[in-house]
Amino acid sequence: MGSMLGDFPSFDPHNFSQLRPSDPSNPSKMTPATYRPTHNRTLPPPDQVITTEAKNILVRNIYQRAEEKLRLKRAATEHPIPEHGSKQLRASTSH
Amino acid sequence: MSIWNYVVTAHKPTNVTHSCVGNFTAPQELNLIVAKCTRIEIHLLTPQGLQPMLDVPIYGRIATLELFRPHGEAQDFLFIATERYKFCVLQWDAETSELITRAMGDVSDRIGRPTDNGQIGIIDPDCRLIGLHLYDGLFKVIPFDNKGQLKEAFNIRLEELQVLDIKFLYGCSKPTIVVLYQDNKDARHVKTYEVALKDKDFVEGPWTQNNLDNGADLLIPVPPPLCGVLIIGEETIVYCSANAFKAIPIRPSITKAYGRVDADGSRYLLGDHAGLLHLLVITHEKEKVTGLKIELLGETSIASTISYLDNAVVYIGSSYGDSQLIKLNLQPDAKGSYVEVLERYVNLGPIVDFCVVDLERQGQGQVVTCSGAYKDGSLRIVRNGIGINEQASVELQGIKGMWSLRSSTDDPFDTFLVVSFISETRILAMNLEDELEETEIEGFCSQAQTLFCHDAVYNQLVQVTSSSVRLVSSTTREMRYEWHAPQGYSLNVATANATQVLLATGGGHLVYLEIGDGTLTEVKHEQLEYEISCLDINPIGDNPISSQLAAVGMWTDISVRIFSLPDLNLITKESLGGEIIPRSVLLCAFEGISYLLCALGDGHLLNFLLNMSTGELTDRKKVSLGTQPITLRTFSSKNTTHVFAASDRPTVIYSSNKKLLYSNVNLKEVSHMCPFNSAAFPDSLAIAKEGELTIGTIDDIQKLHIRSIPLGEHARRICHQEQSRTFAICSLKNQSNAEESEMHFIRLLDDQTFDFISTYPLDTFEYGCSILSCSFSDDTNVITVLGLRMFYPKKMSQPRILVFIVEDGKLQLIVEKETKGAVYSLNAFNGKLLAAINQKIQLYKWMLRDDGTRELQSECGHHGHILALFVQTRGDFIVLHEEGAIEERARDYNANWMSAVEILDDDIYLGVIASLPHEQYVFLEKLQTNLRKVIKGVGGLNHEQWRSFNNEKKTVDAKNFLDGDLIESFLDLNRIRMDEISKAMGVSVEELCKRVEELTRLH
Repeated sequence: MGSMLGDFPSFDPHNFSQLRPSDPSNPSKMTPATYRPTHNRTLPPPDQVITTEAKNILVRNIYQRAEEKLRLKRAATEHPIPEHGSKQLRASTSH
Repeated sequence: MSIWNYVVTAHKPTNVTHSCVGNFTAPQELNLIVAKCTRIEIHLLTPQGLQPMLDVPIYGRIATLELFRPHGEAQDFLFIATERYKFCVLQWDAETSELITRAMGDVSDRIGRPTDNGQIGIIDPDCRLIGLHLYDGLFKVIPFDNKGQLKEAFNIRLEELQVLDIKFLYGCSKPTIVVLYQDNKDARHVKTYEVALKDKDFVEGPWTQNNLDNGADLLIPVPPPLCGVLIIGEETIVYCSANAFKAIPIRPSITKAYGRVDADGSRYLLGDHAGLLHLLVITHEKEKVTGLKIELLGETSIASTISYLDNAVVYIGSSYGDSQLIKLNLQPDAKGSYVEVLERYVNLGPIVDFCVVDLERQGQGQVVTCSGAYKDGSLRIVRNGIGINEQASVELQGIKGMWSLRSSTDDPFDTFLVVSFISETRILAMNLEDELEETEIEGFCSQAQTLFCHDAVYNQLVQVTSSSVRLVSSTTREMRYEWHAPQGYSLNVATANATQVLLATGGGHLVYLEIGDGTLTEVKHEQLEYEISCLDINPIGDNPISSQLAAVGMWTDISVRIFSLPDLNLITKESLGGEIIPRSVLLCAFEGISYLLCALGDGHLLNFLLNMSTGELTDRKKVSLGTQPITLRTFSSKNTTHVFAASDRPTVIYSSNKKLLYSNVNLKEVSHMCPFNSAAFPDSLAIAKEGELTIGTIDDIQKLHIRSIPLGEHARRICHQEQSRTFAICSLKNQSNAEESEMHFIRLLDDQTFDFISTYPLDTFEYGCSILSCSFSDDTNVITVLGLRMFYPKKMSQPRILVFIVEDGKLQLIVEKETKGAVYSLNAFNGKLLAAINQKIQLYKWMLRDDGTRELQSECGHHGHILALFVQTRGDFIVLHEEGAIEERARDYNANWMSAVEILDDDIYLGVIASLPHEQYVFLEKLQTNLRKVIKGVGGLNHEQWRSFNNEKKTVDAKNFLDGDLIESFLDLNRIRMDEISKAMGVSVEELCKRVEELTRLH
């Protein structure tokens, strides 16, 4: 057990070094000041007001697939396959 | 309740839901950030402990809180998401000490079913995206660009519908989530997905793990070098990664929170439902995980969040009990615990029921709450205002003034208490038996009323009567010198400190004397144009025994003036306005700020900031403390100076965060007060009230006083019975090892000691839903009635109503009546019993049988409600709050003049709803609108949207309710902002301050 508990991380050895346990019947009463911002930087830069894209998942998927097809097609036309195998195959199936 | 309402929290939320640790306020500073419902608190770790820095109100209920470090930043940013689907990213600007908003947004979707298991908000450890799970079947992604800016969010379809937890995995080249979910056969599994940001879709992840512990509920991602994830179940803990699987059995427990100890992820603290704290260790050889080990460390409050801070100190945030700061010791204590509690932070929540009682019979209501849950259940006695704990008291009529004196200058304690009457002065002193008895100071004039007394230098005492000023040795008690008022003049008002005396005679003469060793020297004399009504020379400057300023209140022109000492030059003249003369002035300093307080004859108090070098008075503010003349005196408690304002509504004036606060003292009327710090009664006050002299100590100076009565079990309902001076509670206790894990009781407690004096165990599977103390017509007994419900309806007989009387301190069951449903609420109604039973309201008559016994006989009922949960009656009216139709569960008790108490929906606020006249409502609504323009929402969140009413079906603007928290924050603004609002409102700052301060005195 000792080995499990030992060697706890220390970022700053001074932290808590002067803290003594308080009377358990007496809870801590430290209350921080309440923050009331009156400055203008509570508003983020205009491009950092985030919304969710309006396109729904299904529509997005359909477009993505269409684009994908288009990309493949383009790839096919730009780098035609020498044997023209697919074309022949398609031609044969179109009968 | 009127339709114009003012709602204000009397006590900020105390229930800790989230916490995190990081370098937020500076690269070298370590901060603990705690979320308490609608607020976050920023603390700094210091050698002395946790130092609170800022309490930040958030316009929304916090759902997730995370610190993260974007690429290239030297300190952490804070990500907050609210339950109503707003989020913001905050950064601390150390130069201005302000929170600035880096990003914000709305992440709600128009369609989608909100998750049942709470909202999840996580940030990729490599800061590539923020992931949100807010609706079933959807995972929302907010991507970061390479400069750390957020981009438009998008949704990804998530196949798993019953998600229990989602975390990001560490050390993955593509952002990868691990999802813990339950399938439609109630089996639990984990699955991993890579987030393909470009395709906006998931790609199957590196591994899955099926058929886990049925209670698996929590994922802990393990950082590099080990990586992988820990899956915490109720009976096992599993470590899982692409290439390793290790499991250990654990004692059955439900883990509620975890905290990582080491940066390399090898040790974790786990907190369970019973408040037990365990240490989980991943044993490894270099980067290869070899196994898991778990050890019990000890007991804490039931944790909702655990944050390892530094040097073995850990923060335990709790929703069910008090939050704690604990230390993990290397050696166990006598009970075998490695946990040492260093600090405790009060948590009142969740408040499930409360009653208002006047235990001290001072006309001041106290709220007794059923707080906390499970083993951390407690009763909390919440009292507004400051209590005086009476130590001794004697009957003494006609007290005109009181002063305490020491027997030598360097004696730390007071010995004498001088009590002045209309034509005599009596001296009380502590004798050897520590009793107060009458004594004499031979050098004092005892045949006249004393105007003022004070300790003076050289072991002397000063007494001022209408004819003379006497200087008396405090050791021999003999007179050393007497200064006589000039012929034909009598002294009307006097004040003194250790070295100076200031006197006022008729005709507006002001006389200044200095105290020497056995002499009084008249240094200066000045005639003013009007009569003088009050004086003060309390030394608040650098010299603790002498003052350079004198405050003088005037008749006729109704002014307060500041004179310099010793030359009595007029420095400042401030006209008070109105026709009421100042009755008491006081120079005082709080938290290093000097003030002049000036109390008027009609119970108003003015305060000014006092410039000690120029004597200038600024920032005038006016509050109403009572209706009668006020006498101001300073006193010390715990080495801090406060002011006691004696009047028909005695008040303590103190300062917190450099703001003056006013707190009621729980006494009806006090004519005079003086501090009396004797050896037997240290830090005490002598108080003259209603023909009585009381010595008492004062509570800690704060607005609300909370006393905690730990029960070790969960109290759910409470009622008070005045006649037997008891409380009755319905409570439940969790048995850790028994077959039937819950036991339900009715317990009777003494209302002074809070000891259990009688217990009535309920049947198995039966629990108390409602409890009431009432009396029936034609029966003089006061009766405790209990409504029961069954939580296992199949196994047992009918729910029932039990009727008890309290006899010889015992609960005696006299009648029981079966009902056709759970009895959710009980009310006394015109000498009968009104019960809300499921969807029905039933009225019972208390019948006398022929044999003298009693029975409850059903008289009439009313059907057609959805589920009757709360019923309130007033006179002949019954108000019913139904589940389903209820907007706000407000229970209005007229506790004490004007104040009323309520529970808001989640039972975690303690607040006040006050009804307002329409004119005031309109005024305050205008103020609220103006404040919204000046006080900005942290993170850019909108106040109006937050306060709007919202349920599953609709969102509408808040109507007829004003947010007192916002309105009262007016007092926290600086002068420039106050002026801005004053201009927009067309009302003076002084008037605005006065009206808002009056509202703060509601609670």
